[in-house]
Amino acid sequence: MNQKRNRRMFVLFCTLPTLLLFCIFTIYPLFDGLYMSFFKWSGLSGRRTFIGLNNYLRLLKDPVIPRTIFNDYFLVAVKVIFIMALALLFAVVLAQLKPRGTAFYRFVYFFPNVMPVVTTAILWTFIFSSNMGLLNALLGAAGLDELKRSWLGDLHTALPCIAVVLIWAGVGLFMLMLMGAISNIPRELYEAAEIDGAGRWRQFCQITIPLIWPQIKTSVVYIITTTLNGSYVLVQLTTLGGPANATQVMGSYLYQQAFTNYNFGYAAAIGVMILVLNLATVLIAQLVLRREKVEF
Amino acid sequence: MKKMHKRLFSLALAILMALPLAGCGHGTSSSGTPGTDTSAPPKDGAVSGTLEIQYFVGGYGSDWWEWLVEAFEDEYPEVEVVVNAGSDINETMTTRWISENPPDLVYLDGPSVSETTFVEDGQLLDLTDWYQNLTMEDGSLLKDNFLVDPSNYGGKVYALPIIYDNRCVWYDAAEFASRGWMVPSDFDSWISVMKQIKSETGVSPLGSTGVYPSVFMKGVMYPAFADAGGKDFLMSVIDGEEGAWSSPECLSVMKKLQEIVDAGLVDPNFAGETHTESQMSFLNHKNYFVATGFWLPNEMKGSIPDGFEFGMIPTPMNDTGKPACTIPDIKSVGIAQGAKNPAAAKAFLAFMFSPESAVKMAEMAGTSLNLKNIDYSGSSSVPSYLLTATEMLADASRCEIISIDHAMSTDLQNPIGDVINLLLMGEIDAEEFCRQAEDIAEFYRSNK
Repeated sequence: MNQKRNRRMFVLFCTLPTLLLFCIFTIYPLFDGLYMSFFKWSGLSGRRTFIGLNNYLRLLKDPVIPRTIFNDYFLVAVKVIFIMALALLFAVVLAQLKPRGTAFYRFVYFFPNVMPVVTTAILWTFIFSSNMGLLNALLGAAGLDELKRSWLGDLHTALPCIAVVLIWAGVGLFMLMLMGAISNIPRELYEAAEIDGAGRWRQFCQITIPLIWPQIKTSVVYIITTTLNGSYVLVQLTTLGGPANATQVMGSYLYQQAFTNYNFGYAAAIGVMILVLNLATVLIAQLVLRREKVEF
Repeated sequence: MKKMHKRLFSLALAILMALPLAGCGHGTSSSGTPGTDTSAPPKDGAVSGTLEIQYFVGGYGSDWWEWLVEAFEDEYPEVEVVVNAGSDINETMTTRWISENPPDLVYLDGPSVSETTFVEDGQLLDLTDWYQNLTMEDGSLLKDNFLVDPSNYGGKVYALPIIYDNRCVWYDAAEFASRGWMVPSDFDSWISVMKQIKSETGVSPLGSTGVYPSVFMKGVMYPAFADAGGKDFLMSVIDGEEGAWSSPECLSVMKKLQEIVDAGLVDPNFAGETHTESQMSFLNHKNYFVATGFWLPNEMKGSIPDGFEFGMIPTPMNDTGKPACTIPDIKSVGIAQGAKNPAAAKAFLAFMFSPESAVKMAEMAGTSLNLKNIDYSGSSSVPSYLLTATEMLADASRCEIISIDHAMSTDLQNPIGDVINLLLMGEIDAEEFCRQAEDIAEFYRSNK
């Protein structure tokens, strides 16, 4: 009896601090944000005025909000498609075909993940710069002057440019995750399939994909949450949501409302909207990607 | 063992219970914390103790502030000035303002500081009665020496305007002289010389910053609105009054801008450029005109090419035969309502306004202190463009100075800035601009 009690005390001692810190740094801000969304507050003083659901009504009428939602989901879709395709391609090539210099390629592809996002933003801002950018210089050298433009200042290219940077910065991590999963697939399965006459493509579709499906699913969910929560950092560092909201995402609009327009209460309402959309998207993704666990 | 477990558990609980208290506690004053006046309170009007100030360092640099603090400490040896300064200082200090532990004195410039919001939130001390009786060294009243009066909030004054800047149009005077280009004085001559520049160099000469479109709004559109409808119309636009953005006056201004856009005279790279990038393009002759404040030469002093000579004109959006309007760009200083040493803060604020301080500001920050009749003749370090600008601004036949009562709310300014970018990119025309801007103003009014 005593031993059981001691064990329970020990478990409590180990879990309670983490739980409490989680409550302080995650649960409390979450509910405080929700609470704040019912107030008119500049964020520059302690003075707040309760305004009920007004911030949410404003959210429904704000013409910028639909644009930010579209931009966010554009980035989610583009990132999921391109990151997963490239990560899967690189992972299969490096883990199964094992070309010379695998370690080097692994390092090169993963390198953008260890770069601070500020460095990434500055690097790519210089690449896309209209006057001194590498991209325009290359186009000029290739005699394609008519294609030169202000890449981050053009309504039609600014958001795709942001997507390119996010894909470049994201592939490495998921490549490593998938490489780990592919390495765990027993070699005999491929040998047996080969004896049965299955080609490389069929092996990939019927052995590799089903067996690494849990990692693919996790990667997709991770891409969705990090994009909806985190793509604003790159936007803030490169375009500030411009030109004319062409790259405005929900997070950058939240930031603008809180720290430029001094509408902290409204920004909190946008935060609640991001949370709800994020949860809903992840739930839908989980349902869509649900599959029976495959074992051979 | 059992006892030890109990003790460990109790200790853990005690620490965990204390954590939220530490995390959520407001920054109440306690001895030794920054900004706390630990010395004896001032007696009989004497000024002593610690004075904590907050100032944003932007295009004007910090040299003038450093000189000011040193001079103040020499004048008031009983006061120790604690400085919070830097380009991100406003963001850093925000938590102090929220937790009602602000510095004593604040320079209201830069991001995350808004004079209007601070006043609405009751963060600034009412200076109305105090400043009325402030005198200069020569015995005259300070308020009579102001170039621009303080912002008025229902008859109350909460901050004194310290920096008197003007948004004008800049050009390279040496380049214009060598190429024989005419310096424009009205809209017709401006568009004419821009077309000439484009035909001779192939460069679209009007630069701007698409990342911060408010710079264009204040530098080009405000003077144009004042030209078109006077101060009342300008203020109605700034306040987003019903019908202002869709009025014939607004449409006439936007038609002029559309004419510039349609002629291909706007730098095609402007939309992706920050204000410093557009200024850099200007210095490198990637464009030939930028509308910005007096901070330009000081901010770009490390990048000015040899032979470049700053020239400035009031924004030539005026019709022929009329003087161009120019809108002063004022930066103010206020005292916190929760100041711990208001006496020292008031002494510091009064100390800022002197002829010597004005000359030092011209020399070190390249801009003007908000005082009339400053004699710069004793100094050889005052930049020549500032002397030219001072002379130009005093010439009523060339420019009419129109001061605005208060700044535009960022809730209106930011979305209007987006449609300005669309117009300058040629995505929408003047009529569509007015329609969209009126919708934005309506949304702004409904959420006020």
